[in-house]
Amino acid sequence: MQTKLRLRPPPVSAAPGGDERRRVERRRRWLWRIAGYVFFISLWQFTSSFLVADFIVPPPAVILAEMWDIIASGQVWVHFGATLRTIAIGFAVAFALGSATGLLMGRSRWWEAFLSDWVMATLTTPGLIFALVTAMIFGLGPTGPIVAVIVTSFSYIAVNVVEGVKAVPRDLTDMARSFGRSQPQILRHVYLPFLAPYFFTATRYGFSIAWKIATLAEVIVGTAGIGFMMRQKFQEFSMQGFLAWVLLFFAFALFLERVVLQRQMKHVLRWRPEVAR
Amino acid sequence: MATIKVQDLRKEFVTDTSTVVAIENVSFEVGGHEFVSVVGPSGCGKSTLLNILSGIESATRGTVDITEGDRKAKLGYVFQSARLLPWRSVIDNLLFVQSSRGPQVRARCERYLDMVQLSHTAKQYPGQLSGGMQQRVGIARAFSIEPDLLLMDEPFSHLDAITARSLRRELHVMWQETGKTVLFVTHDVSEAVELSTRIIMLAKGGRLVADLPVELPFPRDPASDAVALARADLLRRFESLDLLAT
Repeated sequence: MQTKLRLRPPPVSAAPGGDERRRVERRRRWLWRIAGYVFFISLWQFTSSFLVADFIVPPPAVILAEMWDIIASGQVWVHFGATLRTIAIGFAVAFALGSATGLLMGRSRWWEAFLSDWVMATLTTPGLIFALVTAMIFGLGPTGPIVAVIVTSFSYIAVNVVEGVKAVPRDLTDMARSFGRSQPQILRHVYLPFLAPYFFTATRYGFSIAWKIATLAEVIVGTAGIGFMMRQKFQEFSMQGFLAWVLLFFAFALFLERVVLQRQMKHVLRWRPEVAR
Repeated sequence: MATIKVQDLRKEFVTDTSTVVAIENVSFEVGGHEFVSVVGPSGCGKSTLLNILSGIESATRGTVDITEGDRKAKLGYVFQSARLLPWRSVIDNLLFVQSSRGPQVRARCERYLDMVQLSHTAKQYPGQLSGGMQQRVGIARAFSIEPDLLLMDEPFSHLDAITARSLRRELHVMWQETGKTVLFVTHDVSEAVELSTRIIMLAKGGRLVADLPVELPFPRDPASDAVALARADLLRRFESLDLLAT
């Protein structure tokens, strides 16, 4: 005798689908972000209007006007260009050195023993020390800030890459070896893609450190750049000029993080289900 | 056709406090187009044996000779878990293990994907597939290099019974169609009886205790009396040798 199975169609869900849920989530995140801006700018306006003299904390509108003047006069391109050049050269060298050092330390315990204390020393030393030391060695000009960026960012990259290399699943390298893949092929197709998230984390930390140290070094020895302009405004006791440069700096760093780095990360890590969403 | 000659193989793992013998004096031969299963309880050195044959591990002593005529045989390996590169699409995972490039190689990869009925997933990432589908990609990857010898390490042990059964059928068809030599590791005696032409039994400590032909006609229904009798016979042998004791 045959047994009949009664199959009922699945109930139609009233809850929003995955895409709709994600859209709502994204909209909510944006609302909270905008609320954060509104809150802090209002707090700033309140402080400037009622708590502190406005030549010490100028109101947001004054700073915005000053920022517009800096942009319209073309100064922004000259000094951002100088700082960006310092960061680009310094960070590129730091990235290459840090990645190579991280790969060496992650794959060989002898190299790790040889280098680890020195990498930790540069990681834990305050950036100000490197900014001062390079200022004393190289004097006025762009070389000191570039070297300071290299020395401080390098260790952040190296430490992240070491952790990544140690986490590469042996299952995958064994699989590649069992199919006769060569060491360069394994490095390119197994190690590097696996390390991509570690490289991004290293880049984000290293880059933020590079920004800070480049600006700091320019404050001390720069002849151009954002830090140099901050020093000039500080010496003139022009709080509105000083804050305008600080906010331009902040806006640019935010643009790099949100538009360049995060988009690149999403593209490179598109195979991860949580990123693909 | 690929042949395997293993002689006096021994593998030790040395730790800080002790030496563990995974394989002890194992010798056997496998001829062309055989489907040989290596059966034994967990920890008896089955996977280590395959790792030595594939070159992932080196033997402490003994020799392994895997040849195809006068040359070294080409090996394909199917692991317990699929071991796909999650950042490469399904088709790119197959292309990664190829020794050459070109439209013909790509067409061959697509053909093997089709054989495991996954051609529609070629552009998807492994993370978008179920465990069973990933394992089928792993099987297609191993076949796609057109190996002389296929090594399979408990390829269905992580899958549900229904998926495992359907994959066993697919594997049997592919073995018959391609004529490959297969060395198949499993702890499932029924699976070994269903698929193999010969069964090698390993005991704890990595000793080879029996090498038996399975003389049943294909296709073998796992629910049939003949398969059940063969399975019971093997289990009796295990019990009489006290092989299942841990």
